[in-house]
Amino acid sequence: MSIRAGALRGMFGPPVSRYDQASAMWLLAPMLGVLLVVAVFPVLYSFWISLFDLRLTRPHRVPFVWFENYQEIFQDELFWQSVWRTTSFTLICVAAIMVIALAMALLLNEEFRGRRFLSAMLLVPWAIPYVANGLMWKWIYDSGYGALNGLLFQLDFIDKYMVWLGDQHKTLWLIANAFIWKEVPLATILVLVGLKSIPADLYSAARVDGANTWRRFVHITLPALRPSFMLVVIYETMMAIRHFDLFFILTEGGPAEASHVLAWHVYVETFRKLSFGTGSALAYIMALVTFFLAFWLIRTLGKKL
Amino acid sequence: MRRIFLFCASAVFLIYVLAPVAWLLSSSFQGEAEITSRPPHWIPQQPTLENFEAIFQAREKKVTYETRRAGDPATGGYIPSTARDLLPSMWNSLVVAVAVVILNLVVGVPAAYAMAKIRFIGRSTSIYFMLTTRVIPDIALVVPFFLFIRTFGLLDHLGSLIITYLAITVPFSIFILVSYFESLPDELDKAARVDGCSRLQTLTRVYVPLAMPALVAVVLFTFLSSWNEFLLALMFTQTPASQTMPIVVASFASDFTISFAFINAAGVLAVIPPVLMAVIFERYIVSGLTAGAVKG
Amino acid sequence: MATIRFESVGKTYPNGFAALENLSLEIADREFVVLLGPSGCGKSTTLNLIAGLEDVTAGSLYFDATLMNVVPAHKRDVAMVFQSYALYPHKSVYENIAFGLRMRGFAGEEIERRVRDAARSLEIEPLLERRPHQLSGGQRQRVALGRALVRQPQAFLMDEPLSNLDAALRIAMRAEIKKLHQTMRTTFVYVTHDQAEALTLADRIVVMKEGVIQQIGTPEEIYDRPKNTFVASFLGNPPINYLEGSLSQDGRRFVRGAVSLPLPIPLPVQAGRPVRLGIRAEDVDPKGTGEQLGGRITSVLPVGSDQFLGVEVEGAALFFRVGREVRVHEGENISLPVNANRLQVFDAASGASLLWQ
Repeated sequence: MSIRAGALRGMFGPPVSRYDQASAMWLLAPMLGVLLVVAVFPVLYSFWISLFDLRLTRPHRVPFVWFENYQEIFQDELFWQSVWRTTSFTLICVAAIMVIALAMALLLNEEFRGRRFLSAMLLVPWAIPYVANGLMWKWIYDSGYGALNGLLFQLDFIDKYMVWLGDQHKTLWLIANAFIWKEVPLATILVLVGLKSIPADLYSAARVDGANTWRRFVHITLPALRPSFMLVVIYETMMAIRHFDLFFILTEGGPAEASHVLAWHVYVETFRKLSFGTGSALAYIMALVTFFLAFWLIRTLGKKL
Repeated sequence: MRRIFLFCASAVFLIYVLAPVAWLLSSSFQGEAEITSRPPHWIPQQPTLENFEAIFQAREKKVTYETRRAGDPATGGYIPSTARDLLPSMWNSLVVAVAVVILNLVVGVPAAYAMAKIRFIGRSTSIYFMLTTRVIPDIALVVPFFLFIRTFGLLDHLGSLIITYLAITVPFSIFILVSYFESLPDELDKAARVDGCSRLQTLTRVYVPLAMPALVAVVLFTFLSSWNEFLLALMFTQTPASQTMPIVVASFASDFTISFAFINAAGVLAVIPPVLMAVIFERYIVSGLTAGAVKG
Repeated sequence: MATIRFESVGKTYPNGFAALENLSLEIADREFVVLLGPSGCGKSTTLNLIAGLEDVTAGSLYFDATLMNVVPAHKRDVAMVFQSYALYPHKSVYENIAFGLRMRGFAGEEIERRVRDAARSLEIEPLLERRPHQLSGGQRQRVALGRALVRQPQAFLMDEPLSNLDAALRIAMRAEIKKLHQTMRTTFVYVTHDQAEALTLADRIVVMKEGVIQQIGTPEEIYDRPKNTFVASFLGNPPINYLEGSLSQDGRRFVRGAVSLPLPIPLPVQAGRPVRLGIRAEDVDPKGTGEQLGGRITSVLPVGSDQFLGVEVEGAALFFRVGREVRVHEGENISLPVNANRLQVFDAASGASLLWQ
């Protein structure tokens, strides 16, 4: 290959223009720099810390303990419970979000007066800060004067005000409800985008072929929405697993650990018990798990495309 | 027939989406006495502005309250704060959000253009790298960041918030931008280069003006993510001087002696800017996401 | 000024696809060269290499004596017109045309002058303040031309600029481009798959197939003396007719069954060889005196001033063009005098011409 050729042969094969390579590198540099600092570095650093027994209660004695922190974590019953809770929380949320988002997207896909208004209003839950969302629902769920109690009481579903958030059987689902309410708008938009890209001709052809509304839905709409669903599932799973804000505001992991999810577990370990060694280990585990989960999800769901 | 169905469906839709917020709004206009009625007054019968007044005039309201019960021992346990902090904290949130938006654009736009339009070694690697960084949960970032920042005494500095917020905003911004850039014709790129533009000039003079919807979407997403972010701000700010809005609002919730009416008013104030932005720019959000969102 | 020289240039893409292999070509200054071929033959790639939009992966590219391999596109002095025009949607027509000059740092008055001159000669002056989406296809095309014109570059590159226009406009624009070349006195490199365009516009045609040059020559050379069946088939409408057969024992005639025709040039060396005879549709003259080709008429298609006759000869289906005065009907037998000087002879296996190489 002539040395005078303008193309580089990179380490892995494909020849590219020298100028293009240089300019691409310059354009990418800020992003790479930023991400290295704020994403790669923390993960590596937390792994490093997790090998020590670092407690802020006695910051000057920091023994190197290899993987003892991890052992401690895996032997902790509470850890496994929080994993279980996180899993059920995530599954419920993702399923509910998909269904509601689909319903809403179908509605918004129709042409009718006031649709613009509806879709503008759709964005309200999305725009609200998580904190405000938490406070709002905390007020609604309030056992003394909350709207949920009031509504059910007025409709005669209950005969006296009940405890909601304080009831350990209901807590996780109430929090899930708040989470779902806030996440639905974005999911709806993603599904709506998918709906809009289905060519109208498909439906016309199906009608000529004699398919009724339900069959058109099942055989055309649903398959065409696969990519959107995949995107929603992956994104919302990631959001649900990592969610912290609502748990902090509404229940602080209680009552009696009923809403003690993984993210909360990490927080408690690190900032309440001040054990940064185990905290880092947990953080690192969480990072790894979500990473592989995302990877696996994209692989399996992506193949169906 | 269809119209009836649509009407009912729309009603259900609106109720689901707006009812909780409407209740929040309604409660914020009710005084202490009214808000404790059973069953609740759905529409305030004696509407009052006293909650909002309390916030704006910064009167000492009843008791002081803790923010975090097990606060960082370095500062001694608990930090009292008052209603007075809400407005300054909104200012902090604004500063941080604007800085994050600007940085996102500066960092993200060139990178997205390169990944969308230039064929170079390491292109797919960079794309995967960028996507995977978003997967890392915030809590996993907090622990190492906290230690690092604390060691360098940057704990109350808004700058540390700004930098860490980049971690959660840049990947998604670039994702939106790359999708949109890819949907713009390649031939414009060629024409510009033959016309004498370097890659950077092609970006600034041709593609950026054409990518306005995506840019607006990025600004919105980034602003909102930054404004609403809670966990990192909780960790990295100790004093009211540097706290952002979600922290101050959250602090109201953990005090049981505070009236919910007051909390609701604070909530309403916290909610207004982002909701306003979202509703005004609704069109851009959808079109910014549209180009390529489904392509994944 | 600019001679463009390719020396054994190759272009291979990252996925392994070799678009060009061992391409050697010299384009003289002020020439109008047309790169002609079907889709995927590498003609657009070649153009992109000249523009610097893609880089050579093997060999060398020179402008005059300067090696251009590593020079990026924005530092080369060429202008390009794209098939889809590639006008900047967010700029006015004026700004679209002026853009290249602005990027190269021309003064405002100079830009103004050049843009208005170009607009005037292309008759788009009234459109200067409009946006591309407000223009028709033909108008956009002129703007694209204007953008290239004002640059007064060393070479004009055109990538199928007329394909998106309707037939009448296309013919009118062809004439305009030809005139442009005469006025500008600059090198033009033009890519197309339309052989009629190539024949009308070119000083020289480069026929390409699958990344390899098949033949370079003037339009007459390419048309009258094609070097292989690909070139012969590609030019000419309707496409050239082929008859499989063989050469006679003395190498002076073509034979197939009852058909026997004299060759334009005797080939004693190739006696008895299996060959493919090429006859163009217009190379029969009912009033002529040449030797005749006999067959049965399978179809009669009037086309305005002429007719197309489908004739079956020794089992092969051929098409000829004759004047309207020939009165024949389907099913009749006919004998057509052939213009033997224009016959082409190709090797039956390789398709290479035995007459011209």
